[in-house]
Amino acid sequence: MLARRVLNRPRSLASPSSWAASARTVTACDVIVVGGGHAGTEAAAAATRVGAETLLVTQKIQTIGALSCNPSLGGVGKGQLVREVDALDGLMGRAGDWAGVHFSILNRSKGPAVWGPRAQLDRPRYRQFIQAELLSMPRLTVVEGSVEELLVSEPDPEKPGKHRVTGVRMADTGRIILARSVVLTTGTFLSGSLFMGQTTSPGGRMGDPPSGSGLSRSLKEVLGLRLGRLRTGTPPRIFKRSVDLSLAQLQLPDQRPTPFSFISNGTHCKPEEQLPCYLINTTPGVERVVRESLHLNSHIQQDTRGPRYCPSIESRVLRFPGRQHQVWLEPEGLTSDLLYPQGLSMTMPPDLQVRLLREIPALRKAEIQAPGYGVQYDFVCPTQLFPSLEVRSAQGLFLAGQINGTTGYEEAAAQGVWAGVSAGRRALSLPPLSLSRTQSYIGVLIDDLVGRGITEPYRMFTSRAEFRTSLRPDNADLRLTLKGYCDIGCVSPRRYEEAVRMKAGLSEALSALQDITLSPTRWREKLPQAAVSANKSGIMSAEEVLQYKDVSFEMLASAFPDVLGPYVEFAERLKIEAMYRPHCEKQRREIERILQEESLSLPQDVDYLSLPVSLSQEVRELLDRVRPATLGAASRLPGMTPAAILHLLNYITRTPQRDRSAERSSTPDPQNLSDESRDSFPCVPVSQ
Amino acid sequence: TAASARTQFSGARASHRLWSSAPLCATDTIFALSSGQGKCGVAVVRVSGPASALALRGLTGPDRPPAPRTAALRSIFHPQSKEILDRGLVFWFPGPHSFTGEDSAEFHVHGGPAVVSGVLDALGSLPGLRPAEAGEFTRRAFHAGKLGLTEVEGLGDLIHAETEAQRRQALRQMAGDLAQLYRDWSQRLTQCLAHVEAFIDFGEDDLIEDGVLDQVDNSVAQLQTEITCHLHDGRKGERLRSGVQVVIAGETNAGKSSLLNLLCRRPAAIVSPIAGTTRDVVETCLDIGGFPVLLSDTAGLRETADAVEQEGVRRAREKVEQADLTLVVVDATQLPTDPLQVPVFLGAHLLAVLPHGVGLEESLRHCILVLNKSDLLPVEQVEKTQTFLNKNPGLPPASLLSCHTSHGLENFMTSLQSRLSSLCGDPLAGTPSLTQARHRAHLHECFQALGQYQQYRDVDLALAAEGVRLALTGLGRITGKVGAEEILDIIFRDFCIGK
Repeated sequence: MLARRVLNRPRSLASPSSWAASARTVTACDVIVVGGGHAGTEAAAAATRVGAETLLVTQKIQTIGALSCNPSLGGVGKGQLVREVDALDGLMGRAGDWAGVHFSILNRSKGPAVWGPRAQLDRPRYRQFIQAELLSMPRLTVVEGSVEELLVSEPDPEKPGKHRVTGVRMADTGRIILARSVVLTTGTFLSGSLFMGQTTSPGGRMGDPPSGSGLSRSLKEVLGLRLGRLRTGTPPRIFKRSVDLSLAQLQLPDQRPTPFSFISNGTHCKPEEQLPCYLINTTPGVERVVRESLHLNSHIQQDTRGPRYCPSIESRVLRFPGRQHQVWLEPEGLTSDLLYPQGLSMTMPPDLQVRLLREIPALRKAEIQAPGYGVQYDFVCPTQLFPSLEVRSAQGLFLAGQINGTTGYEEAAAQGVWAGVSAGRRALSLPPLSLSRTQSYIGVLIDDLVGRGITEPYRMFTSRAEFRTSLRPDNADLRLTLKGYCDIGCVSPRRYEEAVRMKAGLSEALSALQDITLSPTRWREKLPQAAVSANKSGIMSAEEVLQYKDVSFEMLASAFPDVLGPYVEFAERLKIEAMYRPHCEKQRREIERILQEESLSLPQDVDYLSLPVSLSQEVRELLDRVRPATLGAASRLPGMTPAAILHLLNYITRTPQRDRSAERSSTPDPQNLSDESRDSFPCVPVSQ
Repeated sequence: TAASARTQFSGARASHRLWSSAPLCATDTIFALSSGQGKCGVAVVRVSGPASALALRGLTGPDRPPAPRTAALRSIFHPQSKEILDRGLVFWFPGPHSFTGEDSAEFHVHGGPAVVSGVLDALGSLPGLRPAEAGEFTRRAFHAGKLGLTEVEGLGDLIHAETEAQRRQALRQMAGDLAQLYRDWSQRLTQCLAHVEAFIDFGEDDLIEDGVLDQVDNSVAQLQTEITCHLHDGRKGERLRSGVQVVIAGETNAGKSSLLNLLCRRPAAIVSPIAGTTRDVVETCLDIGGFPVLLSDTAGLRETADAVEQEGVRRAREKVEQADLTLVVVDATQLPTDPLQVPVFLGAHLLAVLPHGVGLEESLRHCILVLNKSDLLPVEQVEKTQTFLNKNPGLPPASLLSCHTSHGLENFMTSLQSRLSSLCGDPLAGTPSLTQARHRAHLHECFQALGQYQQYRDVDLALAAEGVRLALTGLGRITGKVGAEEILDIIFRDFCIGK
């Protein structure tokens, strides 16, 4: 089915001419998404799934869904995000299954909660899949061009915010497009500059024209947003034929590829057709070249914050000198003659890049197709956003991806889905929603961004999720798909039905397991492999026995074929559920407490400095600066006191909302009481 | 349908749900001393939560449970050692007809510190019971909808006071060897967690070898041993003296030591006209109006090149930070003659003496100004200034007095006693046994969580890491929280993350 979609390019494939022809006329849609990267494509797709007429504006239709850096998807922490984007019916997981050429589960030995599904991708296939999906999507139009400025008008006085964004003006034609929501996903293109050696040029990605400076001006000067600056980089691309792979260590994929998507039947690439990766190590010569070229490397000399993970080879050898550093040579695709040296991003002049590479034995004769380079770019300090990813001060403007200071395809896609959902819902006058950090990595990501802000490019790690043993890659569908259909409205019936079937199957199987109870002696007879201890007393359920390290569901199913046989298709998930259930039960209490606090929204335009509540000046200033969306978010702020939380709780529960609305605008609130709560809160948590 | 489904999640209704719902986190059972100290012959220890009945049975035996809401005289003994702790009244309040809405019990025992800490220890030894956090009883009552609007008004301030009292108590407890020990454990545990997390999040990277986990195994085992030893060590660290901690502070030669001597009616401290006479902290136990007070005189605060005096000044500042009440002594002869200038002058003075860490507002609430040497001022200036100070609400209570002639002492004692009576009414201020019970509970939590690491080390590293994380949370309740970013900082400091 996938193949048919790619081949039958549908009607809406880029007819930018019809848009260009009507230059200077005014058109309108529900949602405009600016940018065709991972955030933009997911945002556009999510907005249309929610039901909004959506327009995706991108510089080149050809580069929609391009993997501009590494040819891989997923990993530890990131893989969870891919699974969650998929559970909300996003594109990324299915695209990965279609384009993957090397699948492996990282951390296989460390426990299913921290497994990291990962794949090397074929770049053209990934792009093709995303483009085919988008271009055939109902309610979605794709147009080429760049946006010169945001149209800004007076805010809706009933809602928080100083401005309202009502659409965009295009750069070349001057054409005006009106929309109820605008999603910006401009990645590194916001005042981006490219660095190589001592040369600097404007741009966000090599080979693409820089975006107009108008957007940057709109954000900074018109909307008054605080911006920061970050840097990142990409390695040179090496011709495979110039590499002596016999000197590299072979890294094979999993023999049975695991798909990312909950609804993929398998991966497009056949298991035996997968490509390997190669592992090589740096030498002292590499360090020497880095040191000798420092004076020619202006990117490294700048003090803009770069990521501590995924660092350039320059920062790696400077921070940890005198060591070997690993470099992975990753395939760029099935037909590509290039290798991507993961771990060798660098910004020195191109001739020195070649010299550096050739210090490594396998790369002694390496030739490069394109040199590595660095990018510095503006990001919008994400504490200025609501958990819906709408800008607090600008109604109708949503931001997602690197513009919020994150790094990585998966982080971008995760925000894209949520910004798209939020923008679509706003356009359709549905109340905004937020995802809790107790329920998803997407919630952790957004809560960290809008609640704490960033000091370096933000990447997901499993250690960021307090409830990681509950937020596992295996159960993302149970956590998100059902809500995605019932509450959020971004999931197709087909996926929903599959999740419902899965949920029912798992719970039936678990009760079947709990119903099988035997004495330890009987278990030893029935299942000698389980090594049930002779000292054990009382009776044990099959669920308890399944928690044993060496017991699989299949073993139990062959011992009790009549009862457990029907559930063999859920075997792996049942094993994981049984392992984690006691711990998740314990966590549930803590999660419920947090969710209760998060269900208490704090009004967004309240004047904390003059609030008639007993709060210290420090706490007032803190609240005024951060403006937490919920009581839960407030209680996580460093510097909050239990007493201040209680005063706030008391204030929320006691003060009728009409009074609170009146406190933030002097004009009387004309809304009727039954309806007001919907608009006066920035976000309502997704139901439990 | 999504829209209509959403409306029921409007903030107002959600909050209403919470207001009227069952208490938060209802599964823990908490206990605390809920009577004040000093002047009380009877101490009340309160228990709330589902294990309250268990606590009652554990401490009074399985027979003859008291009738609900009726006093019963029982022997109270330690559930493990069976040692009789006291004979007192016990009450049983089955939920929801109790203060918190949960099952509750009360033990009314003799007010001596040995009995109280014995009962607290006994309760802490029962499974499912832990010492209450600041304001937890009242919070539970609040969530159960048991408090009226006016009571709720004062609740925030009460919790604030409790938190502050606990913080100061913790600071006192943490001064010295014990602090060093906890900090050391906390650092090692943070390092362990960082290394496990590094192995999980970056284990596929270079330079993080399996050896990292072996180190963690050793550290965890070592920590477990040390914590067990500590928990079984009968000495329980420094013996802390009970009483409201009152500290005399101010610039040199303001008459701080004279005030101490005046209050204890004996020359406990050396006084001289030479600035910098007191160089170390002089402590003395007093009974002021029936309240137990631990009074400390400190070195005068000034910039000095003298190393001994510098140390004295450092100790003085530390004392002020830990104090329940600070008496800031000012040389009245330095006061501006124009009363209108007085508040600015005193404000600057307070800024120099009081700690800023917790916020000046907070410090001001725990302070009395003493303007000494009034005998050296003209009588009319004394009267004018005192009248002016009495109606100046921006400043803490201030008394003009002369340590030399005792003039104005009565006035000062009145305001001191009124502060002491409110401080002693607070059950948390100055009860070391409660803090010790809390520490023991958290250390026990920490110990058990480390067991989870060992149990899952080879089965599931995510669950093992969870154990270290819980252990750190337990210890963090004593030493302060460790956040995700700090863990990441250690990871990036110790390892070269390349991928």
